[in-house]
Amino acid sequence: MRMTHRQEIATRGPRALRLVAVLVIFVIFGWAQAIGGEVKVIANRSVKADAITAGDLKRVFLEERIALGDGTHVEPVLEKDGPVHEAFLRECLGGTDDDLQNYYRALVFSGRGSMPKQLGSDEEVVAYVENTRGAIGYVSARTNTEKVKTLVIGDDSNHGERKLIRRVEPNYPETLKRLGIGGTVRLQVTISAKGNVENVEVLGGNPILGEAAINAAKQWVYAAGHSRSVVEINIPFDSQR
Amino acid sequence: MHKSARAVALVCVLLGQIIVHAQEFKLLDRTVQVHGFASQGFVYTNDNNWLTMDTSDGSAAFTDFGLNMSAPINDRLRVGAQVYDRNLGQLGQYHPSLDWGFADYRFKRWFGIRGGKVKTVVGLYNDTQDQDFLRTFALLPQSVYPTDLRDATIAHLGGDVYGNVSLPQKLGDLFYTAYMGHRRDSLYSGATYIATQYGIHGSTYGGLQYGADLRWQTPVTGLLIGASRLNENVTDRGNFLNPLNPAAGAFPYAAVSRADWMNQFYGEYTWGKLRIDTEYRRFLHDQLISPLAVETITDVRGWYVSATYRVMKRLAVGSYYSRYAITSVAGGSLASLFPEQTDTSLPANHIYDKVITARIDLKRYWNVKAEGHFMDGYGASSYPDGFYPGVNPQGYKPNTNALVLKTGINF
Repeated sequence: MRMTHRQEIATRGPRALRLVAVLVIFVIFGWAQAIGGEVKVIANRSVKADAITAGDLKRVFLEERIALGDGTHVEPVLEKDGPVHEAFLRECLGGTDDDLQNYYRALVFSGRGSMPKQLGSDEEVVAYVENTRGAIGYVSARTNTEKVKTLVIGDDSNHGERKLIRRVEPNYPETLKRLGIGGTVRLQVTISAKGNVENVEVLGGNPILGEAAINAAKQWVYAAGHSRSVVEINIPFDSQR
Repeated sequence: MHKSARAVALVCVLLGQIIVHAQEFKLLDRTVQVHGFASQGFVYTNDNNWLTMDTSDGSAAFTDFGLNMSAPINDRLRVGAQVYDRNLGQLGQYHPSLDWGFADYRFKRWFGIRGGKVKTVVGLYNDTQDQDFLRTFALLPQSVYPTDLRDATIAHLGGDVYGNVSLPQKLGDLFYTAYMGHRRDSLYSGATYIATQYGIHGSTYGGLQYGADLRWQTPVTGLLIGASRLNENVTDRGNFLNPLNPAAGAFPYAAVSRADWMNQFYGEYTWGKLRIDTEYRRFLHDQLISPLAVETITDVRGWYVSATYRVMKRLAVGSYYSRYAITSVAGGSLASLFPEQTDTSLPANHIYDKVITARIDLKRYWNVKAEGHFMDGYGASSYPDGFYPGVNPQGYKPNTNALVLKTGINF
C-alpha cells in the first residue's frame, strides 16, 4: 500500500526529528568526551625532562615533589575551573575540586606548602608557564603551546624517563652545516618494553635534519621497562660545532 | 531578614570580595602569600553546660581566627608564620599566640627539615584541627581531638624531619614525619582551667615532646592508613590553695610526668563524593605530684567513625559516632584524696557522641554549618573533656543534646 504525500511527511517528520536529536546528543557527548581526553601537560622550557610519569605529575600537583628526578625545580599551575580543569582532575589527580582546594588549604594553614597559581584560561596558563621557571600546567590539546614544552605522560612502571643505553649521533648533512642551517628537531619516540625503538615521528624542526634525527634515533637502545612508553626528545644540530 | 543579620551578611560578602583578591604581594622579588580565616559559632545544650560555655542558655562565646604569611626564599627554602587567637567560653580568652612559625628546607622528596614552632603531626587532623573550613563537621570528634586540650598537642618549638617515598611494585607511597621539641601550653587551656577549680593555679605547663607519624597511601585508590606516636615529659608548676583550708595559704605545686605517651591509628577512604574516616587514640598520663607525693595514672581511650557525603556543589552532609572512655587511679599516702575511676560504663567515665551535620558553602570562602550532638555521659570531672564542674555547679545530667551552629570564612 502506497503512502500519501501527507503520510510520508508525517512519518518522515518524527524520524528526521529523532535523527537530529540523536545527532545533537552524539555531538554534545562526543565533544564532552573529547575535552576529557584532550588535556595536555605543558612545562616551562627550564624543565629538562621531556616526559613525566602520571604518578610524578600527581606528586608535583600535590606539592609532594618540588623537583624532578633530574633536579629541575617544578611548581604546579592550575586552571580555576572549566572542562579542562575537570578533565585534569578526573584523569590525573582523582577526587573533586573541593577535595583539591581543601588539600591546598591544609598545606597553607599548617605551613607545609603554598597555594598554587590558579588561572582563568588556557591562554593565561600558557603565558604563565612560558614566563615562570619550573612551571608545569595543563591546557586543552587545541591550545597553541609553541612557546612552552609539552610533556609526554609516561607509565609509572618505568618512571617516564627510560634510561638510554646506546645512543647513535645523527649524521649532520654537510651541506646544511656549511650553510649554517641548524636548530633543534623534536621527536616523539615509541619504545618497546624490551627497550627497542619501535617508532619515531618528527614533531618539529627542519625536515631534512628531522630525517637524519629519525635515522639516528631508530638505532637507539633503552633499558627494558614494564611496558611500552612514549617519550618526547630534542636533538640539537649546531652548525658552529 | 533582620537588619543586623543583613548587615553581617553584607560585611561578610564585602570582606570576602576584598580578601579573595588580596592574597599575595611582592617583597624583595619574592611572592609573599597572605591567608587567613575566622569562624563564629553558637552552641545550645538542653542539659549540662559544655566546653566551658554557658550553653544551656545558648552561647556564642565560640570565636577563632588566624592569619599567616609565607614566602619561598629559594626553590627549596620556605619561611612563614601564623598567628592564632580564640575565645571558647573560659578558654583562649583572646590571648593571641604564634600558632606556627618556621623555616622549611626540602633537600629531596624523601628528606626535608623544618625548624621553629612547628605544627605537630598526629593522626589525620591534629595539625589542621583549627581550620574548620576544611571539613564538613563543626566540631571534630572530641574523643580523639578534644578542643579543650588543643594546646597539649598542637605544636612544638623544635624541628621535624619529613619526606615521602614511592614503594616498589606500585605498592603506593609512604609519608613520614619525626619531630622533637618543647611543648608549652597556654594558661588559658582546658587543663589549666580545670585545675583552678581544685585550687591549683598553674604558672607554667610544658616540656619535652617527641614522636613520629607514618602514613601509607595504599595502592587501593583513595585508601590511606597510618599511625602516630607521641612521647612527652612535661611539668606542671604553680601554687596550690586548699579550698577547704584557705587560711593555710598557697604552697608550690609541681606535677612531673613519669610516663606520658599517645598512640594513634587511623584510616581514611575516599570514593567519589564519599569520605570515611576512622581513628583510635590512647593517651596515658602518669604523673607524680609533689609535695603531696601522690602518683596519678590517667588512661584515656577514644575512637570514632565518620562519613561525609557531598550531595551537591554547595551542600555536604555527614555523621559520626565518637566514643570516649577514661580511667584514673592514684597511689601514695594521700591517694584517698583522688577517688578511683575505673568503671567506664558510668556516665562519669565516658562520653558517647552521635553526630549529624550539614554544611552549606554560600561562597567558595564562606560556609555555614548546623550540627546536632547526642551525648551519653559527661566524662571525668577532674579531667578536661568538655564538661567542667565550674560551669556545672548544680551537678551533671547523664545525657546532653547539643545544637552547634557555625559560620566561617577563609582566604
